[in-house]
Amino acid sequence: MTAERVISQDVEATVRQHQEHDAAGNSKFGFIVFLLSESVIFLSFFTGYIVYKTTNPDWYPPGVTGLETREPLINTLVLVSSSFVIYVAERYLHDKKLWGFRIFLLATMAMGGYFLLGQAVEWSSLPFGFKDGLFGGMFYLLTGFHGLHVLTGILLQTLMLGRSFISGNYDNGFFGVEATSLFWHFVDVIWIVLYTLIYVWQ
Amino acid sequence: MSKLRAILIMTVYAILVTLASIWMAKQSYSWFPPEASAESKLLDDLFSLFTGLGTFIYLGVIGPFLYSLVFHRARKYDMSDGPPIEGNTWLEIVWTAVPLVLVLTLSFVSYRTYEKMAVRGPMELVHLHLPQIIQPAYAAPFDSTPQQEIENAVETAPIEEIDVTAKQWAWVFHYPKQDITSTELHLPVNRRVRFTLRSEDVLHGFYIPAFRLKQDVVPNHEIDFELTPVKTGTYRLRDSMFSGTYFAANQADVVVQPFNEYQQWLADAAAASPTPAFNQAAFEYSQANDQEGATKDNVVVRGWDTIPPASPPVVNYAPKHEPDSPPT
Amino acid sequence: MTNISLEAPEVVRGQPYPGAPDNWKRFFTFSTDHKVIGIQYIVTSFFFFLIGGTLSMIMRGELITPDADLVDRTVYNALFTMHGSIMLFMWTFPVLVGLGNYLVPLMIGARDMAFPRLNAVSFWMVPVVGVLMLASFLVPGGPSQSGWWAYPPVSIQNPTGNLLNGQVLWILAVAISGVSSIMGAVNFVTTIFRMRTPGMTWFRTPAFVWSVLGAQLIQLYGLPALTGGAVMLLLDITIGTSFFAPERGGNPILYQHFFWFYSHPAVYVMILPVFGMFSEILPVHARKPLFGYRVIAASSILITVVSGLVWVHHMFASATPSWMRILFMVTSMLVAIPSGIKVFGWVATIWGGKIRFTTPMLFALGGISNWLFAGITGIFLASVPIDIHVNNTYFVVGHFHYVLYGAIVMGIYAGIYHWFPKMTGRMYYEGLGKLHFALTYLGTALTFLPMHPAGLMGMPRRVASYDLEFAYWNVLASLGGFLLGLSTLPFILNMVSSWIRGEKVGNNPWRAYGLEWLTSSPPTVENFEELPLVVSGPYGYGRNQPLVGNTPNPGLTEFPESLTAMQSDEL
Ligand code: HEM
Ligand SMILES: [Cu+2]
Ligand SMILES: [Cu+2]
Repeated sequence: MTAERVISQDVEATVRQHQEHDAAGNSKFGFIVFLLSESVIFLSFFTGYIVYKTTNPDWYPPGVTGLETREPLINTLVLVSSSFVIYVAERYLHDKKLWGFRIFLLATMAMGGYFLLGQAVEWSSLPFGFKDGLFGGMFYLLTGFHGLHVLTGILLQTLMLGRSFISGNYDNGFFGVEATSLFWHFVDVIWIVLYTLIYVWQ
Repeated sequence: MSKLRAILIMTVYAILVTLASIWMAKQSYSWFPPEASAESKLLDDLFSLFTGLGTFIYLGVIGPFLYSLVFHRARKYDMSDGPPIEGNTWLEIVWTAVPLVLVLTLSFVSYRTYEKMAVRGPMELVHLHLPQIIQPAYAAPFDSTPQQEIENAVETAPIEEIDVTAKQWAWVFHYPKQDITSTELHLPVNRRVRFTLRSEDVLHGFYIPAFRLKQDVVPNHEIDFELTPVKTGTYRLRDSMFSGTYFAANQADVVVQPFNEYQQWLADAAAASPTPAFNQAAFEYSQANDQEGATKDNVVVRGWDTIPPASPPVVNYAPKHEPDSPPT
Repeated sequence: MTNISLEAPEVVRGQPYPGAPDNWKRFFTFSTDHKVIGIQYIVTSFFFFLIGGTLSMIMRGELITPDADLVDRTVYNALFTMHGSIMLFMWTFPVLVGLGNYLVPLMIGARDMAFPRLNAVSFWMVPVVGVLMLASFLVPGGPSQSGWWAYPPVSIQNPTGNLLNGQVLWILAVAISGVSSIMGAVNFVTTIFRMRTPGMTWFRTPAFVWSVLGAQLIQLYGLPALTGGAVMLLLDITIGTSFFAPERGGNPILYQHFFWFYSHPAVYVMILPVFGMFSEILPVHARKPLFGYRVIAASSILITVVSGLVWVHHMFASATPSWMRILFMVTSMLVAIPSGIKVFGWVATIWGGKIRFTTPMLFALGGISNWLFAGITGIFLASVPIDIHVNNTYFVVGHFHYVLYGAIVMGIYAGIYHWFPKMTGRMYYEGLGKLHFALTYLGTALTFLPMHPAGLMGMPRRVASYDLEFAYWNVLASLGGFLLGLSTLPFILNMVSSWIRGEKVGNNPWRAYGLEWLTSSPPTVENFEELPLVVSGPYGYGRNQPLVGNTPNPGLTEFPESLTAMQSDEL
């Protein structure tokens, strides 16, 4: 019993040290858990989309035969590459190169903004609305809900950009930036699935 | 010695539990309305089996539980602990395996019963895109009497087709061959009946307790539903899927008659010209919205706005009065 | 037992929380202490339990006669909708989150939850949900009247035509409660995964913690599906989209899948922590280790997984194709097995023990016996042919109240009594507790047993009026319902009076194992001065084995039954 006590005290003193001060680790873990949960909302929307599409042969609103895929493809490429851009930004921060970080973060925001703009242009040119049948409903629900996430991502990035000017902001690690970046990758992955479902599978 | 006593006690208890389970299984038949369809007999047998096994499990667990509560109490000043037993691998394996076998058996038996009932018509198989198994399940050779009844009903006579329309809050039955409508469901005894269930507005539930059968009625989706009445009498059809304000009042009578009486009834109804039937929901609604309405004072607490009921159905045949309760 | 100073209780109570405001006032602040938040949850939700209970009493008043004569039909429909919704979203979920909040950090030797501020935010959303729910009684058209399932198309029919109506408020309330639950779940899962004290390996973690983990994982995978469905429903009502509206080409059945994909597992969100409490309480009051602890612990996680695969059993009578009916019948039957294992484990735990009929023990035992009954009727319901007859009848109402009242509410009572001395430092009154138990147990049987035969006879649920043939069973159930209403009085009296002036009983009146008993009662702000170092499994009864290898709260003088040493009274 005493032997066990000595060993465990020895071994776990470090563990304890770690645990008590690893608030950022907790946050990261919690954030990943949250994202996994959030993805189930998208999953249920996707399931709904698939069910509607497979059970209603004529589910496009009258006069609509499909979607234009070219512009959205450009949009997709921009969004997907922005994931790499924010990764580069994160690397810069790791190397304590603040300006590199800021520039690449700004680039990410610009690309996200471009995506949202493209989305808005597409929406305004479509011949159907939210209330036009199941397809209209599902289309706007999915793209709109995803768009909200893109917007949230951009807002988070703005916040991170602003905070990078506060001195001493990174003394306790940069969980905020990591989370923002993780969120952005998440939004990206969702979009790839969404694009496949809505635009590729017609 | 004490081991012998334990075995003895356990044996006696097991016998008692078995007897009690058999008794409950027999008893369970009396908990139901009359068995008015072939399917209801199948269901009651299944339910009886479940009741017997359920009683056995319940008493089998609760016996040792109560025994322990009575005989393993701490004495007043006994502050010691019990024996530090943390588990027993064999026991745990056994009490995982036995329930596993049991529920798989129950699943299988339930599946057989369901298959014998064959309540979902061939429509469903069409939807499954499996035309090769359209051959109805009830053609399989089964032994028990109810199955025989279903089979006979299918073989001896053409299936009676009846359209059922549910709405807020009325049931309308349409006999397509004679093109007549009714708010009371008349059925020939010992014939297979196939309903086509439709809803005009929300979900409803086509539920006849004496037949032990129920099927939700879904708007925009026709559902085939089959059964075989085997006992003449008047039963109750109830809406079982909550459908809004007057849901509880959305009931109709089901009259199962000998075939010739049924034919007669069809002929009489065909001769009658359509008239508006009594409708409980429409009646209550009109009273509640009457300025000086008598029912204004019928309830203590007044309510809120409701979706107005559809106007009373216009049908060839309607019972003269509001539906009766079946005799108890 | 410590001697108490009946002369001046208020002096003795003092301020157990240094730096905290006056003792009771801290419960009305935005505190981030998990113990304060836990009690906030418990007390707030109990308040809503009383409201939900009052609604049920009015329903039973209506149902004591066959005709719809006490309240209008719309009112009855609103009553069962709000009763169900309040009981689930405002009582059962939050009270269990409260107990988990209080106990999990203590049991795993943490100083607080992983995210204390998030925790407080989660709690403060609960009153908002409650206000929204209750406010819906005041809007034109009244509260939602579509049942707690809110199935379309009934739920998207809008008699008043207003945008602000009971159904919309209901969806908003449920959505906020969902956000609160998700945040809580993230918090619990992170806490349990990352904050266990050194030495507390998975298989030294108490069964209650396992069960909370299982329950919260369900919240994480299930709630988003419900949220998705609710968003689409809300759009259908407000904007006029066509997802579930048949007249616009929508599919109302899809909603049922969204709803039950969450709401079946949700049953396990409620029952799992109760299972966990049974597993904690029995060993203490029977003085024996939990039998088959590892299997019981792991079966919680098994339930988490399997309960996600059974949801269609709520839709057997729906437009569900036969192959789906059979498939989900089998999975539903299988989910009974981990629950069965637990029951066997509990019986084996008390077998040969030194049982004491304390109030928590009585409630736990009563809860287990009711669960056994409800579990068996549950297997009936899993069988497709049987369910086709009893689905949407009072048989189901009887079954799920046996779960909800018979097992879950009883289990919650058991937990509250068992940890009351820990939360307050005082003991409840045993006599009142036993009276409470007797009334609850009898009331449950009298209310909910008669519902089973009524259902077998064919009485549908959600009816404001019924045929004369059901009158007998309904009169019995109504009388039982009023008895249950009565049964809460001794409980309230007991809690209030013993919290104020109950006997002070020290830190570990039950001589129980468990880290929560190693700290003072009520525990200090951060629970442990030094994190405990766990050196053995959680149920060391009869083994003379210490639980921890250090003294977590060295300053604590009054520590007669310290688990850090051998139990002094061991023979
Ligand atoms: C005094 C104790 C209680 C009584 C007398 C009671 C009675 C009732 C009654 C009469 C119904 C309506 C049945 C119907 O019309 O279909 C009902 C429904 C319901 N009750 Fe209770 N109940 C009690 C406690 C509880 C508790 C503690 C819970 C949950 C923890 C609960 C959850 C529900 C739910 C979920 C429904 C279904 C509502 C719906 O159909 O949408 N009840 N209860
Ligand atoms: Cu179909
Ligand atoms: Cu379920």
